[in-house]
Amino acid sequence: MMNEHSRTGSPLGRRQALAMLGGVVLSGLSPARWAHAGGAVASALAFDGGALVVAGAQVWRHDLSGGASATFPTPRAHIRALACHPARTGRLFAALEGGGLDRSDDGGRTWHPASGGLPMPQVTAVATAAGAPDTVYAAVAGDGLWRSEDAGENWSFVMDRPWIADAEREVLTIASVNLASGMGGIWIYAGTERGLTRVPDCFCRWQDVVAGNAMDALVAGTPPAPETPLPEGEPVLALTSAMAAPERLAAALPSGLWASSDSGVNWAHRSGHVAPALAAHPTEPSRIAAITADEVILSHDSGASWAALPTT
Amino acid sequence: MTRRAPIAAAVAVVAAIGAAGWNAAAQQATDVESLTFLGKTVTAAQLVLGQEDYAANCASCHGANLEGQPDWRRRNENGRMPAPPHDANGHTWHHADRQLFTITKLGVSAIVPGYESDMPAFEGILSDDEIVAVLAFIKSTWPERERGFQAEVTANDEGGS
Ligand code: HEC
Repeated sequence: MMNEHSRTGSPLGRRQALAMLGGVVLSGLSPARWAHAGGAVASALAFDGGALVVAGAQVWRHDLSGGASATFPTPRAHIRALACHPARTGRLFAALEGGGLDRSDDGGRTWHPASGGLPMPQVTAVATAAGAPDTVYAAVAGDGLWRSEDAGENWSFVMDRPWIADAEREVLTIASVNLASGMGGIWIYAGTERGLTRVPDCFCRWQDVVAGNAMDALVAGTPPAPETPLPEGEPVLALTSAMAAPERLAAALPSGLWASSDSGVNWAHRSGHVAPALAAHPTEPSRIAAITADEVILSHDSGASWAALPTT
Repeated sequence: MTRRAPIAAAVAVVAAIGAAGWNAAAQQATDVESLTFLGKTVTAAQLVLGQEDYAANCASCHGANLEGQPDWRRRNENGRMPAPPHDANGHTWHHADRQLFTITKLGVSAIVPGYESDMPAFEGILSDDEIVAVLAFIKSTWPERERGFQAEVTANDEGGS
């Protein structure tokens, strides 16, 4: 179920409220201390134009080239998930705790609602389309996938939740993966409470992640079962695909961090970190960031080794 | 519906008076001439056959006006998806000719192994020519944008195979 995921995204507790009050005062703290200072408040992550944006009760922007870090004014509500696109530097979409979606056009400093037509239940995941920077996807709890083609102004329902092991499953994380689906577009991958699945971006049907695309299946018949799939039935809490190398995926499960270099067919266990949020650098695919219960960690080798984000 | 009416009317005209007298439907005539399926030009006679076969074999699920089943983006109780529209509101026009042909002839599981669906396989019910005719008819109802998109997807699919 969603427990693992919602643990860090629970409604505002006392410590979080205090952290929010801290506001700009916290901006001088190191990232690790920042994460500690707020308790488990950070739950969302995105690479945006040379910076890593970490969000939760607050929004914190860390310049990866060694420049200054900044903590911005408190968002309207705790941020549960973030998405952005390298062709739209400074524009961020944030799924808010309790429902709704906000957009920032200044790298996370200020926010405004971007959920016209989106239903009220919790948005559990948000992603931009790899090939269409103004197209945004949102997963709504108990409902399904919604799409906006105008950067969050208007939304429409596009797909029911995936059907896995005889039931509809909650989508916990989504990623637009820039690989041909064989159905006239690219894939959208989803981590659910019961494993990984994917749907072509025309939203014709959810299907298992297998080697090759739809027409390969036709030619080859039933594809061979993957040798090392993700552990069956385990929830996938976070998922990311590097835009510059979309066949390379990283996933966060309760059992730790996993990486794939063949479009999510086979996976290798990379570390025991439990992370509710992951992000891959759009142009440097080996670079992955993750949030754990008390740290922001960074890997430069596709998840083989990790270090807490250096203090500035 | 109104979107389909002009071509349906054109088809009726062709059926009644033959291609030579088809000046009245000049616009549709150009459309039909430019329409291909699996690389072959579609004839007016094929469209007539396709429309009949559609009404007899597909309309019960996909709708008399290609509108699909109500609330078709939401799955049924048993987890299966309803029949989607074949008009511009659906996703049929995202898929290459080869995929549409394969799904219609062999069912959805031919391209998504193990997938459970209420879409019947028409192999043994319709001939390959009839399947081509039905799908050509469906394509003939699409507005220019959708037809252009699908032509490109089909070209890429054929180029890549
Ligand atoms: C018994 C009901 C039924 C009949 C009759 C039927 N279909 Fe379907 N069809 C479906 C359903 C349900 C789906 C959706 C399958 C899924 O995704 O699970 C579908 C899907 C399709 C698709 C795939 C669309 C896409 O974009 O993926 C095509 C193509 C199609 N049908 C063509 C036809 C044609 C052509 C006929 C008539 C020759 C026909 N169908 C008759 C129920 C039906």
